[in-house]
Amino acid sequence: MARTITFIDAINEALHQEMERDDRVCILGEDLGMGGGVFKATAGLYQKFGEDRVLDSPLAEGIIIAAAIGASLVGYRPVPEIQFADFIGDAVDPILQQAAKLRYRSSGGFSCPITIRVCWGGGTGGGLYHSQENTVWFAHEPGIRVVAPSTAYDAKGMLIASIRDENPVLFFEHKKLYRTAKGEVPEELYTVPLDQASVRREGRDMTILTYGYATTIALEAAEEMAQRGVEAEVVDLRSLAPLDKKTIVASVRKTNRCLIVHEDTKTLGMGAELTAILNEEAFDDLDAPVMRVTGPDIPPVPFSPPLEKFFMVDKDKVVAGMEKLAAY
Amino acid sequence: MATKVGRAAAVAEAPTSRYSPELLLGLYRMMVKCRMCDEKARILFRQGKYAGNFYSNVGQEAGEVGAGYSLRPDDWVAPSHRDWTANIIKGAPLNLCFAQLYGKADSPDRGKSTPAHMGYPPLSVITPASTIAAQLMIGTGVAWGLKRQGKDSVVVAYCGDGATSIGWFHEALNFAGVHRLAVLYVVQNNLWAESVPLRLQTALSDLSDRAKGHGIAGVSVDGNDILAVYDAATEAIARAREGQGPTVLECKTYRWYGHSEIDPAKYRLKEEVEAWKKKDPIPRFEKYLADHKLLNETSKKQIRDETSHEIDEAVEFAENSPYPAPEEALEHVWA
Ligand SMILES: Cc1ncc(C[n+]2csc(CCOP(=O)(O)OP(=O)(O)O)c2C)c(N)n1
Ligand SMILES: [Mg+2]
Repeated sequence: MARTITFIDAINEALHQEMERDDRVCILGEDLGMGGGVFKATAGLYQKFGEDRVLDSPLAEGIIIAAAIGASLVGYRPVPEIQFADFIGDAVDPILQQAAKLRYRSSGGFSCPITIRVCWGGGTGGGLYHSQENTVWFAHEPGIRVVAPSTAYDAKGMLIASIRDENPVLFFEHKKLYRTAKGEVPEELYTVPLDQASVRREGRDMTILTYGYATTIALEAAEEMAQRGVEAEVVDLRSLAPLDKKTIVASVRKTNRCLIVHEDTKTLGMGAELTAILNEEAFDDLDAPVMRVTGPDIPPVPFSPPLEKFFMVDKDKVVAGMEKLAAY
Repeated sequence: MATKVGRAAAVAEAPTSRYSPELLLGLYRMMVKCRMCDEKARILFRQGKYAGNFYSNVGQEAGEVGAGYSLRPDDWVAPSHRDWTANIIKGAPLNLCFAQLYGKADSPDRGKSTPAHMGYPPLSVITPASTIAAQLMIGTGVAWGLKRQGKDSVVVAYCGDGATSIGWFHEALNFAGVHRLAVLYVVQNNLWAESVPLRLQTALSDLSDRAKGHGIAGVSVDGNDILAVYDAATEAIARAREGQGPTVLECKTYRWYGHSEIDPAKYRLKEEVEAWKKKDPIPRFEKYLADHKLLNETSKKQIRDETSHEIDEAVEFAENSPYPAPEEALEHVWA
């Protein structure tokens, strides 16, 4: 039975149900036990599963990830949490040099099935150090999945799929979606594939490639432009690594135009790779250059409300981008 | 926790009755094996038999063997770049250890990792990264898992003196302290981290004092005294198995050769090197064994001959092992 719940409730429910189903699943991170998490994503877990499976870790991101890696080597399926993407620095070696490479460097002798939940994104007044996105640092590296759901349904299904996946997964949760994204979510356990993009809106005139909170904005912009006769197809990438090239290329082959929309800064953001893929695989199908609407190349995200607004992609910026692309 | 430093007299004083002849000869054989394998690895590198590099453990065998010798098959080892021989001590087949050097298809990682960065999954030796201290954190995570499973297995995690400066070393110790994990952190203090001397690494004189800041046990021993290391390690391991938490065991020792085979180590004084070579842990233990009538020239030669034969076979195996197919580079990225 499905009911309408928020993105964060979907995450919370996925953790509750997956921990009930599989006692190898355990979580650790800062403030997520007794406190239930700074956004309450892990509320109730400590009370239900106890300190053995819901661990308030020391304030040290490196060991949060490394302890999860070690525990996975002896059969656990840990779900460590990085409270804010902005503080992932100390854990970059554990994530990229250890988790992402352990399987490779041992030729499959060791595997590392951990799911790292990371809270990311701007638009909530978090300022320079509670708003960042660093998905592409990790998407660049082979051996670790990077996913960023945009709906409550996907949040639950992809989190469960991530926990069951044999690969390390970075599961990016946009904090702006936590309570604004609501949707029908089945009560029971289900999975959503980790390597498939989702066509959120069909259209014939242009493709918008996007992910995370920007998906919501792209959909709003697409509705506005539809009233002006431009039908955009909105593709939510969902997985940033590996990328679902098939869905991406198929959509652009159909619409012949592509606008990339992401909150991340422009230089070497996802848009750069997506453009390169389209160059390689859909060049003859393009009627216009691939265009981008992204965050500006400044440290994300300056605090003062007008500064934050300047940084964030919004409906008007996307509409302007769509107009430009349509007119080309 | 009191810090015991430099039990230099331990060898001479230790009553044999505390150790069975099998144990004493086993420790000796293993030190000789590690020394001979390591020296062979160096020769093979110099002969251009394999590419990459090698980080010799020669001079540090007492710490290596003393800490790892008493482990059970279900115990874990988290080695660093200088601990190729930790695989041998844990029981990895010598053939595979040499295949590892050559980057051959029979190496446990099928040629993916560099020669000295060896792990052996069947015996729970974690394939190391080059990142200093990473193995300490992962080993700590393993110990956390083992504790949650109610097992009394332990983790022996090796590192050098330089590794004690980086934050991850402390994150590991802190976490292990909070959860009283069964880890033995073996700090092989060889006085140098590449070309950086200890005095520029830390203001401490005993690296086991690092443990104090984390509320865990720390002990410093003469790292060239096999029995001193063995005693301290077995005591720490026994306490760990009983749930009494982790220990930092500093073995004061010396790296005979350069940081790696391409390092002539010109930054060190000849006198320093020569002085330490005189403290070679192997002849020192031979004297002890001879004094206790457990070793003579004949048995000594026999041990060396047997080991040498075993090594020759392993080298031959490695040389005959095929290289991995180039496309194997694509395997094991995704599960
Ligand atoms: C994080 C990190 N920084 C730098 C290096 C390069 N590096 C490799 S070994 C080494 C020195 C290590 O010294 P120590 O910990 O004393 O170990 P030893 O080599 O003496 O056994 C350095 C700087 C590295 N591998 N990892
Ligand atoms: Mg050193």
